Amino acid sequence: MSGHGSAQKGLATRAVQLLALATSFGVLFALTKLTPELESRLGTMTAIGFLVLAGTLLSELLEPLRLPHLSGYLLAGIIGGPYVLHLVDHATVKELSPVNTLALALIALAGGVELRVSTLRSVAKSLTYASLIQTFGVLISMASVFLLLARFIPFAKNLELRPLLGVALLWGALSVTRSPSACMGILSQTRAKGPLATFSLGFIMLSDMVVVVVLATAIMFARPLITAGAAISIDDFNVLGREILGSISMGTTLGLLLAIYLRLVGSQLVLVLLALGFGVTAALKYVQVDPLLTFMTAGFVVQNLSNQGEKLLQAVEQMGSVVFVLFFATAGAELDVPLLKQAWAIALLLCFLRSFFTLIFSRFSSRIAGDPPVVRKWGWSGLVSQAGLALGLGIVVEGAFPGIGTPFRSLVIAAVAINEMIGPVLFKLALDRTRESSSAEPVARPSLPPPEPAH
Amino acid sequence: MSDGIWLLLGLLLLAYLGSNLVGGRAIRGFGLPSGSEYLVLGFALGPHVLDVLGRSLAHTFEPVVLVGTGWLSLVVAVGYVRVADRWINPGRAAVGVLLGLLTCAAVTAAVYYLEPSFGGFQGFRRIAVALGMGACASATTRHSVRWVVERHGASGPLADFAADAARASSMVPPLALTLLFALAPGGALPTIPILGRIGITLGLGAGLGLIAALLLGRDFRRDESWGVLLGTGLLTVGAADRAGLSLLGAMFAMGLVLAASRHRLEIKAMLTPTEKPVLLPVTLLAGAYVNLKLPTVVLTLVGLAVLVKLAVRVILGMALGAGPARGTGADFGLSMLASGGFSIAAALAFSTRVPGVASDAVLLFAVVSTVLGEWLSPAALRRSLGRAGELHAVAPEDMGRPSDAPESLVSRESHG
Repeated sequence: MSGHGSAQKGLATRAVQLLALATSFGVLFALTKLTPELESRLGTMTAIGFLVLAGTLLSELLEPLRLPHLSGYLLAGIIGGPYVLHLVDHATVKELSPVNTLALALIALAGGVELRVSTLRSVAKSLTYASLIQTFGVLISMASVFLLLARFIPFAKNLELRPLLGVALLWGALSVTRSPSACMGILSQTRAKGPLATFSLGFIMLSDMVVVVVLATAIMFARPLITAGAAISIDDFNVLGREILGSISMGTTLGLLLAIYLRLVGSQLVLVLLALGFGVTAALKYVQVDPLLTFMTAGFVVQNLSNQGEKLLQAVEQMGSVVFVLFFATAGAELDVPLLKQAWAIALLLCFLRSFFTLIFSRFSSRIAGDPPVVRKWGWSGLVSQAGLALGLGIVVEGAFPGIGTPFRSLVIAAVAINEMIGPVLFKLALDRTRESSSAEPVARPSLPPPEPAH
Repeated sequence: MSDGIWLLLGLLLLAYLGSNLVGGRAIRGFGLPSGSEYLVLGFALGPHVLDVLGRSLAHTFEPVVLVGTGWLSLVVAVGYVRVADRWINPGRAAVGVLLGLLTCAAVTAAVYYLEPSFGGFQGFRRIAVALGMGACASATTRHSVRWVVERHGASGPLADFAADAARASSMVPPLALTLLFALAPGGALPTIPILGRIGITLGLGAGLGLIAALLLGRDFRRDESWGVLLGTGLLTVGAADRAGLSLLGAMFAMGLVLAASRHRLEIKAMLTPTEKPVLLPVTLLAGAYVNLKLPTVVLTLVGLAVLVKLAVRVILGMALGAGPARGTGADFGLSMLASGGFSIAAALAFSTRVPGVASDAVLLFAVVSTVLGEWLSPAALRRSLGRAGELHAVAPEDMGRPSDAPESLVSRESHG
């Protein structure tokens, strides 16, 4: 993710960016009009090129509005994606999924590297209260909200109380998911430093683990409520326990190996990260451990058990400057616009209430923990974003409860779409307001050094 | 884990090796200049020998290979007009382009007239195979020249001539393929005349190159420069392929525009280190794509085309004996026989428009030419330089200097 931009860019620069953006859209638009029936074997590569270029340019053009770069990437994907201009079709979006694998590995690694033991220790009390209060508070509140609004939700209005309770419980569990990628994206763009940035990062990375446990618990209790004849089973916890412990031990090993490599060799990190993102992720899935947690642990080990954390973070950020653009632009292209159109009203209401309860419980936990005023006021802002994790859990629910799964997942998609667009804006706004982002405002750094004098 | 993941990891390992070859620890002259060893490795892993890299598995990576060929074209073009602290010498460059064009024309003509007896290709395929082989025959790899020059510490007019001529000749394959793709029937632009298609190919690359140059010249941040270069590059490759135009030609045009921009040295410094990491996996996969189960007449045609290339190079080399290559006899001609990754890339790019036996024949020609060039060319160049009195003893510490590390490109690049 790119650094925070210089605000004063000339009109000529903006004009060039606009021209470039129009050209990239124009080239692809002309091609799709000219050759609608031709299947190109390089369709995916073209889409990657388009999304990277359009995402980068749109994020730059939105900078004067003080919108985060993420919004630009998402918007590029939405506009170019299958539901608006159809420059990138469904099949291509699906083929881009390996990029998500790579991006999530990078995000988890970077997230782990950012977690220093000393910093965590300083906010341990705050994180403990926030995790407990946010998790249970938001879960119970949003489950209650779902129950109350059930009559306005098409697939829930005819459910009897028992299954409705189960579905509400699942909705509550999904509401406590956050977006590590959005958090890392904004922090990387703004290079924010301060109590709010530290708290948000620590909380979201920790919540990643908490949510998995919460959802497994919710599914365990929801199953007998939704499915007639089913009973509470703790088998899910056996699997979960193995997965969490396996991820931590694999992550520790990987982290130590990475630290040794960084110390002894330290070069070609882009290729090493590619191998980790694709190869190691595939291996981890094969042995059924969670790649996200594994990479997060690996990053944490590199940061705290060696002095190679900065080197790793730099490499991840360098590679992320391209991969993250593609990741979020693809997320934008995946966004189901027609579905959002159908369910926007109820989804928007649910999102608003989730944000409201997040704010209330954030203030409450901050007061108890004695957080600094900045966290007390803005601590909730980084917790609004939702992305891949919520969508992934939506798929888990769909698989576990075939009866209500599909409409439930559609509502999840609509709600995540809204949170995905609003959350990063709120978080960046908070970091700007608290001046945590401005403290690290880099000097305008040209893409390339000035040309050498002519010989 | 799927075979695809294993192959990807293998290719990443190769790219890793390639990166180390341009890194600070690389020994000058390490490895073969043409990359033949990776071709042979790919062939050994491919369906004909070990079958580790089966045909369908290798073809899974076809899009990556094609993008790789386009990227190589971009890298070659970005370094085309300027050799670090000096412009390429126009006279020597003109001779280099002429050598490439004459070789291309001779091989094309010979194959075209031999085809009725040996290949059995008809209509457009007849022209395509002839021009495809001509395109692959035309370029002399600059790595071969650099390998000899740096390994033996050569300097002087002949070494400079060889370096500039080899670099200049790399313009011919993209141009030939641009023409070939424009000649191809069908595609996305059937109503546009041939000249128009050529113009669109070059215009597409040049236009997007201009956009990239303008963006990079503005106060874009360094970490976004890769986004711009990758974005415009992939868009160019994809658009050219979808429109049925030559991606090699479009990317070459894009590279030339970037090479003419005021940040050319910095762009070159960014792109050049990516050449080997891209080249090695592409070469390996090309080796795996080689199909020897071709009809005997086609194999004979390939063999004859290689002989024609050899003969043309020797004749042209002897003709140059009256000028810059005085006193080198046939050796200088043989030294310009060397081809490498770029010729292989041309053969792979050819397959996007003319698949099947025709593309197998062209790829086989490129591979055989490359291996033959590897045997004959470096030794011939060393003899030529020796006769011209341009070989010097090289200090061991200079042998260890990286040959194309980024900083050396920005500061000074001697040859290649």
